Amino acid sequence: MYINRALLLAVGVFIIFSPAVEDWIFHAESIWYRPYQLWLLVIVAAYWNQRSSYPDEL
Amino acid sequence: MSFSLAQILLCIVAYLTGLFAVAYLADRGLISERITRHPATYVLSLGVFAGAMATNGVMELAYRYGYSFLLYYGGVVFMFAFAALLLLPLLRLCRVYQLSSLADVLTFRFRSPRVGAIITVAMCLTLLPLLALQIQVVADSIHILAGDAGSLFSRDNRQDGLALLFCIIITVFSILFGTRHVSAQQRNTGLVTAIAFESLVKLGAMFVLLIAAVYGIFGSFAGVEQWLQQSPEVKNALEHSRHDNTARTLLVIFFAGAVCMPHIFHMVFAENTDSSDLRTATWGLPLYLLLLSLPVLPVTWAGIRLGQQLPIDYSGLAMGLELRSTTVSAAAFVAGLSAASATIIITTLALANMCLNHLILPTRLLQIDRDINIYMQLKWLRRSLIGILILAGYGFFIALSGTQTLTQLGLVAFSGTLQFLPGIIATPYWPSANRKGLIAGIATGLTIWFFAMLLPLAGQFSIPLVSALSDHALAAGDNHWANAVLVSLTLNASIFVLVSLLTSTSDDERVAAEICSMDDSTRPVRRVLSLHSAAEFGEQLATALGEKTARSEVNRALNELQFSPGESRPYALRRLRARLEANLSGLLGPAVAHGIVERCIPFQAGPQGATEDLYLIERKLDRVQSSFTGLTADLDNLRRHYRETLDNLPIGVCSIGTDGEVLLWNRSMEHITGVAPREVLGSLLDSLPRPWRQIISDFQRGDSHTLLKAEVARDSGQPCWISLHKADGGSDGRSTDTVILVEDITDFELLEEELLHNERLASIGRLAAGVAHEIGNPVTGIACLAQNLEYETDPTEIRFAALDILKQTDRISRIVESLVNFSHAGSSSSGEVSLAPCNLADCVDEAVHLLALDREAKPVQFTNQCDRELVVLANSQRLLQVFINLLGNARDACDDYGRVDITADCTDALVTINICDNGCGIPAELQAHVFEPFFTTKDPGAGTGLGLALVFSIMDDMNGSVSVSSPLSDGPNPGTRVTLQLPRGSYGNTFDA
Repeated sequence: MYINRALLLAVGVFIIFSPAVEDWIFHAESIWYRPYQLWLLVIVAAYWNQRSSYPDEL
Repeated sequence: MSFSLAQILLCIVAYLTGLFAVAYLADRGLISERITRHPATYVLSLGVFAGAMATNGVMELAYRYGYSFLLYYGGVVFMFAFAALLLLPLLRLCRVYQLSSLADVLTFRFRSPRVGAIITVAMCLTLLPLLALQIQVVADSIHILAGDAGSLFSRDNRQDGLALLFCIIITVFSILFGTRHVSAQQRNTGLVTAIAFESLVKLGAMFVLLIAAVYGIFGSFAGVEQWLQQSPEVKNALEHSRHDNTARTLLVIFFAGAVCMPHIFHMVFAENTDSSDLRTATWGLPLYLLLLSLPVLPVTWAGIRLGQQLPIDYSGLAMGLELRSTTVSAAAFVAGLSAASATIIITTLALANMCLNHLILPTRLLQIDRDINIYMQLKWLRRSLIGILILAGYGFFIALSGTQTLTQLGLVAFSGTLQFLPGIIATPYWPSANRKGLIAGIATGLTIWFFAMLLPLAGQFSIPLVSALSDHALAAGDNHWANAVLVSLTLNASIFVLVSLLTSTSDDERVAAEICSMDDSTRPVRRVLSLHSAAEFGEQLATALGEKTARSEVNRALNELQFSPGESRPYALRRLRARLEANLSGLLGPAVAHGIVERCIPFQAGPQGATEDLYLIERKLDRVQSSFTGLTADLDNLRRHYRETLDNLPIGVCSIGTDGEVLLWNRSMEHITGVAPREVLGSLLDSLPRPWRQIISDFQRGDSHTLLKAEVARDSGQPCWISLHKADGGSDGRSTDTVILVEDITDFELLEEELLHNERLASIGRLAAGVAHEIGNPVTGIACLAQNLEYETDPTEIRFAALDILKQTDRISRIVESLVNFSHAGSSSSGEVSLAPCNLADCVDEAVHLLALDREAKPVQFTNQCDRELVVLANSQRLLQVFINLLGNARDACDDYGRVDITADCTDALVTINICDNGCGIPAELQAHVFEPFFTTKDPGAGTGLGLALVFSIMDDMNGSVSVSSPLSDGPNPGTRVTLQLPRGSYGNTFDA
């Protein structure tokens, strides 16, 4: 069992860009469902990640 | 608009009956497996996370903390999106070791029943607010629907009776569908399908509320936007927690909840049968939660806009009342009902398993009667615990009197379970963590949680220390709970780390830590079992489980591993032991299972055999090879390359452990012995077929590291010859295994046999001229005598002539007989060398006589000084060949006046024969090569180079030896001595008889 390095990279990116993302979400003119757009992006990334994973590494 | 209690009761019963029906149909297989086993069903069943907090409580979160309410879902989304960090390692552990709860995992990791008991007690305590939250949502909803919205917090008017009825129905459902299998690790198909159904109902109901909010309250989506623009305080509230630590605390709490909450843990790990389902859940669950959370803000805003007296948690019901819509009211009620029921069912089921495995069985609070069906006793214990736990939740709800908001209850429960997060993270990532640190950390965290979170919940306790802590250390407006949570978690983790570093870790914990370790660097240790068969396992386990249960468990494990009941291979028995422990862990919990297996199926004490289980490691590496990248992939490729090389070696290689277990068996071994690797790997040497068992085990135990030639009788009747070499242990002293090389030298032996025969024929050829001359002389004599006889009349003379003729013919017969014997010697195709006593001096005489036939040879003088009575154990014909070759070589080395002396000495067992000549000698640098085939110092065409090689081979066959020394003296004729050694023989009984 090894950690997927892409995931570690994603965690790093998430931490680095979280202030910018926060600003983007809380922008005065932003629409109220903007956080959901980000959420959808996470789902797409998770879907893409699990597709490229190995069938059973347990 | 209000509903009568009868209508509400009918609604509850109808919904729960529907739930029963779904579970029943799924259990009976009446719902297609394509549905019940579909990954979507598993993903939807994980929607159990979204309890009443998601349908009601989260609206208060949104109201108070703005966008931070999304973190309720965000924590879980984060955990699942990054499943490879924590969920997959835990799933691997749970699957392999049949662990079904957080307490199981921590008990397994820290090898302590005490850890399991502490976690279980703490978990029950921390989850009481969560159970109370679910019951409160149902009770309050009934209350509101019954038309008493204005007096929601008045205890006297609450419909506690209906809430109790709801609890009883839920208890029955949990007992019927949650305890169908005795092992907590087996999937309850009906339960999973029913929970998935509830998730769908929840989602559908929430979307009804979304539509009602948007179109019923605001008119349209544009209306929502417009209202939001006109209500800046609402929009500003969305950013409420942007600049304080509430958001981060919520993220940590709900992130931990995804793995520390027992109901989620149960659905993620215990009810999971396929890791690919978990992979689907990494995006499926976030998608489900996204859909479920979409209605939250519009419904909350609708509740704010309506401005009713009802708490914001019940905005859905408020809309129903406002719109006078039965559908909206029913949707709001069913959403809460389905969420609450699912959470209560799974939570109590998981807690019941934990209580049974970590409180009742290890502490023997209730004795299990081994003579009665253990499975049924366990099942009924679990059922009783479910009932008790639901009633405890109900009792806590009654005790609180409904004075707390749903958010408060939810946060207290989630922040309580948060205290287990350091332990669960350390399980795969920190092998140095120990149980003392874990217990100290959890005790600290839970103490702070108890005083800063749980006691204030009751609202009537005022403890000076707690007040001081709340007022000063944790004070930060109305968010002091966030400070309390962060302080408790920080202290918990710090003490956990400190105590773990400062105290010693037991060996048992180290082994478990290696097993759980994320880097998977563990090398399974090959330990030697005290028992030697699966049947003995059953007998020993019967002392702890009863005969029937023990037999049943052993048979189950054997079936799962596809081993035969008569299994006795050490490798298979080790796997059987591990499987039995895992299966018993699912049944009785890891602590009890470990104790039983350690007691009944112990490993032998001492270091012997404690090498790595190479076979298991190789199997593991083969299984996960596709996931290796970079340097690890290179290393694995290198391993495969060497493995292939070893397998394809033309020489047989096997490795034997000190206990006689076969650890390595390459393809050449299969070719030589006819035994396939899969038949013998992991088995004891004793299980090898004859004659290999005897040959290899004798050689392994023997002192000699080389056996040049051993004859093996095959079943086919064809003999074969092998040579054996062995090496003991590794240079680093870690390995105690023996590596044995087995070379098939049958072809070489047959070729040698053929060469021997050819050499003999060549000798005869060289002797042919002499033979002709030798026979010619008596024939001439006979001819002369025959001519004289023609004219002889004197009977006396005739008789003498006849005697002379007979002498001459005898001489011819002896010559011919010697040649025939010599040519036929050793031509037996069987290759067997029969040894018998033979007179040494006679044999030397015959050799000298044969050599004397060669008239072209030098007139060297042979002197046979051997004792005439000396007898050796040898094959006379082959010994003759030896002397022919040696004496012939000696003669060739001498000049015309050469002299060859043959002497013999004897001890009790050995006869030493020395053949000394005064020839040209053999240079020292060539002496090491004289016995090699095709090595000769003679001129081309004068010698084949096989003579001495054959002498060596023949002597070896006859259990003798040959050596050469030269020079014997200084001067032009230094001479050579060839020394032969043979076992001493005796005619013994042959003459006595």
